[in-house]
Amino acid sequence: MSISCSDLSKTYEGGHAGWPALRGVSFEIKPGEFVAVTGPSGCGKSTLLNILGLLDEPSGGRYLLNGRSILEMSDGERSDFRRDELGFIFQSFNLLNRLPAADNVCLPMMYAGIPRAEMHHRAHELLAKVGLKGKEKKTPLELSGGERQRVAIARALANAPKILLADEPTGNLDSASSREIMDALLKLHAEGITVIMVTHDRELAARAQRNLRMKDGRLEE
Amino acid sequence: MRALFNAARTGIAEVRVHKMRSVLSFMAIAVGSVVFIDSFATIVSTYDRLQKQKEVSGIARLKITQDYDQTNSNPDEYTPPPNITYETAMSLKSKLPGLYMVSPEFQNWRNTLEFEGKRVVTTINGVTPEWAKRDFVYKLKGRFLDWQDLENKLRVCVLVRKAVPPPSNELTKTRMKQWNYTAAFDVLVSHNDMLGKTVKIDGVTFTVVGILEELSPSKQPDLIMPQARDYKVLAPATTLAHYGFFDEEYDSLDLNVDAGDENNFEESLKLIENFLKIRFGGDEFFMIDNQMETINEAIDASVKQSLVTISLGMLAFLAGGIGIMNITLATVFARTKEIGIRRAVGATRGDIMLQFIVEAAMLGLIGGVLGSGLGYLWGVPVKELLGMGASPIKPWMPAVSVLIAAFTAFVFALYPAWVAASLKPADALRTE
Ligand SMILES: Nc1ncnc2c1ncn2[C@@H]1O[C@H](COP(=O)(O)OP(=O)(O)OP(=O)(O)O)[C@@H](O)[C@H]1O
Ligand SMILES: [Mg+2]
Repeated sequence: MSISCSDLSKTYEGGHAGWPALRGVSFEIKPGEFVAVTGPSGCGKSTLLNILGLLDEPSGGRYLLNGRSILEMSDGERSDFRRDELGFIFQSFNLLNRLPAADNVCLPMMYAGIPRAEMHHRAHELLAKVGLKGKEKKTPLELSGGERQRVAIARALANAPKILLADEPTGNLDSASSREIMDALLKLHAEGITVIMVTHDRELAARAQRNLRMKDGRLEE
Repeated sequence: MRALFNAARTGIAEVRVHKMRSVLSFMAIAVGSVVFIDSFATIVSTYDRLQKQKEVSGIARLKITQDYDQTNSNPDEYTPPPNITYETAMSLKSKLPGLYMVSPEFQNWRNTLEFEGKRVVTTINGVTPEWAKRDFVYKLKGRFLDWQDLENKLRVCVLVRKAVPPPSNELTKTRMKQWNYTAAFDVLVSHNDMLGKTVKIDGVTFTVVGILEELSPSKQPDLIMPQARDYKVLAPATTLAHYGFFDEEYDSLDLNVDAGDENNFEESLKLIENFLKIRFGGDEFFMIDNQMETINEAIDASVKQSLVTISLGMLAFLAGGIGIMNITLATVFARTKEIGIRRAVGATRGDIMLQFIVEAAMLGLIGGVLGSGLGYLWGVPVKELLGMGASPIKPWMPAVSVLIAAFTAFVFALYPAWVAASLKPADALRTE
């Protein structure tokens, strides 16, 4: 699944109206790449990632996902894309704290209509894969930050996505946990998944295949 | 279907987690249900009473009486009104066979009735078999008067027995005599089996051929306009005339008429006026009391009352619905982040809408069931305990009420659910 952006721009309504968060960003990402997006705070990294992940729409420019313009997609098609082809990992985990880890992992599968038994089986498999065997029934509030982020990774992998979008996945973690998460992402990349990761951490960024450096809503190179 | 199932599961979980909030919102709907069931019952009972009214009393009723009050006539030209006689009644009946009932009636006051040495004061009414066609709210023992009794002027009578006779102890007896001079008669009829026996009324011997037992108050039909009935002794009108209880030269009968088909009432009225004009050379001598108007007014009042209660029920549901809307809206704002998360992992707008609608409809459903239970408790055991009489609650009433409750919740959840579904995933995720 390829990503192709040309001249992407984004201006938020309200707030700093007229001060664009993205001003003409163009790049391509080939299937299976591991790309790190870096840059100072407020330069538009999250904005870019949200657009790439179909969580937000660009104000201008063109974004082709697997050759299709996202502007032509209906809300339902975008939802299906998010569900089946994309996985998200956020700095603040974004898990449902009321639900046990396994149910959090089940969530994308539930919307995909996977039968209950199969869904739970796969959730347990995925949690074991990220090293959380035996913690399936714990709610996020009973887990450490690193463990929560691993639940989030398991959830992102639930429907076997082709692209993983991570917005500062290690931002809330200590260096040991950060390394574990990074290792997990590299492993997934090795399995053929495209990984796009926003990070402040130069060391982590250096381990990516390619860096996109941003400043004031533009790419630096 | 699958989406609905998932939404229901999430909904149940939500309702359980937020117990207080859930209880408050379905209480609001439950109140609506209670009022609604009560108003359903009121409407049904109004309808039942209307049917009973038609069945027991009829609708197209009128009463013809002599009119002494001819204010517009010159005193020199004053002619006393002619009398309505038994013959008048028979003639009206044969000229206008469409009339369902023509019941002539004459009342004699302060007669003396003697039975096995006991003497009591009574009233006596001269009637025909037509009398029994309407307002027959009695249980008959023996037989009623028939046309042979009338033709042969037989000395037979029917006695009316009170459902609740006045107490017969001495103190109340003397006290009662002052305002109820026939109390002794009621006691006499209640305490003696007089069927088939003879009584003397003002010295004339009559055979008691029937006893009309008044129904107990709880068994009496619930009419919109019950007739005041105070009969003691009924005897053939012809017999009473023959034995001098009244004199057709001086006394006039009243005619109780049921015109039959109420849709032809106006026409029947004209025909009756015409009949009186031809027979007596004018209809100004008579007063025709149009009871259908009064009955219809009473029916209208009942229907209006039903409409008021049903609007109250609607209003209660409206209040409940607004409560649900408020709570669902609050839920949407409290769970914006969750909406964002669900959208990120693939929930469509429809999935989100469904989730909130199903959740609200479930609250409505629970409220409806709860309210129906309470409504039944209020309508039957509580009302009976308070002596208000149980409401006629039919099984479909709670069922409809539950459906309306769920539907109300559904309708009022549409807007909040739409708000939830319209959130942009990125914006929803950004909230804390
Ligand atoms: N919803 C919003 N409404 C208005 N302005 C916004 C909104 N979200 C972001 N911005 C603005 O857009 C610019 C880019 O924000 P963005 O979150 O993309 O930065 P970032 O690179 O992710 O920063 P950080 O590293 O701190 O997360 C900032 O100036 C920010 O204030
Ligand atoms: Mg950011």
